[in-house]
Amino acid sequence: MMRKVFIFLALSAILLLAACQGSGAASGPAIEVEEAWGRPSPMVADAAAFYATILNRGNQDDRLLGADSPACGTIEMHESYMMDNGAMGMRPVEGGAISVPAGEQVELKPGGLHLMCLQKQSEINAGDHIPLTLHFENAGDIQVKVEIKEP
Amino acid sequence: MSVSKRKFSSWILLVPLALLGLFGIAWWLRPHTFHGTVIQSPEPAPDFTLTAASGPVTLSNFRGKVVLLYFGYTFCPDVCPTTLANAGRALRLLGDQADEVQLIMVSVDPERDTPEKLEEYVKHFDPSFIGVTGTPEEIARVAALYGIYYEKSEESVATGYLVNHTATLMVVDREGRLKLVFPFGVTAEEIADDLHYILRR
Repeated sequence: MMRKVFIFLALSAILLLAACQGSGAASGPAIEVEEAWGRPSPMVADAAAFYATILNRGNQDDRLLGADSPACGTIEMHESYMMDNGAMGMRPVEGGAISVPAGEQVELKPGGLHLMCLQKQSEINAGDHIPLTLHFENAGDIQVKVEIKEP
Repeated sequence: MSVSKRKFSSWILLVPLALLGLFGIAWWLRPHTFHGTVIQSPEPAPDFTLTAASGPVTLSNFRGKVVLLYFGYTFCPDVCPTTLANAGRALRLLGDQADEVQLIMVSVDPERDTPEKLEEYVKHFDPSFIGVTGTPEEIARVAALYGIYYEKSEESVATGYLVNHTATLMVVDREGRLKLVFPFGVTAEEIADDLHYILRR
């Protein structure tokens, strides 16, 4: 009897392990953040912008809910867009989050989506690598370094 | 006999030289394809006097130089720093020719942008840049002269308001005519290429 229980448990464990491994790579969000960068920003400029490319290599949609950095009092997510009259306008991201659908990539870039760094703690200079934590709905927190440079 | 042979061979040498010269002239006269939008019958750029940290600045005082005219504001996080950084880099690409170019940024946020704040802001992008502001009425008048739309956005951020604005970079030629308009998104290389051509003439 004891032997049967033991074999049953062992088999279950093996099956469970196999199941976990089989699904590991593809299931859930697999967020990667590449090329996080920003321009130098003097103290006189009230706001700075950070950009990055966000890739979702998983099979589950995800959303960027916000971001934090010790270099900024607060970070907001905004989008520059061309208005009907050809002028450039800016608006907070729709729904307060940036969607990163499964298998797709979203580019935060000048003139488009960007992270707005407010209440800078100090001047942001070329060569700085600013720690940035991105909060994703499913992938959780992802930490990156923002490279400050003139592209 | 031998003398005429030598003469003949020197003529042979002249042919490729002449061809090379012709190619050189053709290269010099080659048509330039502008990156910005060319104003076909350039009108005199409307004159204005606004205030910089160093005192009054009048556009027509820069006759003889090429003026880059930009309307923006210092709180601007994305669009203005992108354009100003590209314009600054364009000047560095032009090298010595940059001495003949003057960028003037006109604030569309006269409430927050003092002349001193503007000065510090524009110098960050290039030490030669000038920033000017004025009373809200003065700014409204100058913006209207250039067809510049600007309006406080209804969307605000934690620390203040944003201003939606026309984000083109305008070029006034040496004769004071509005010659060229770059859309937002123009690169430093494109600005430098067009300025290089305008300065050469």
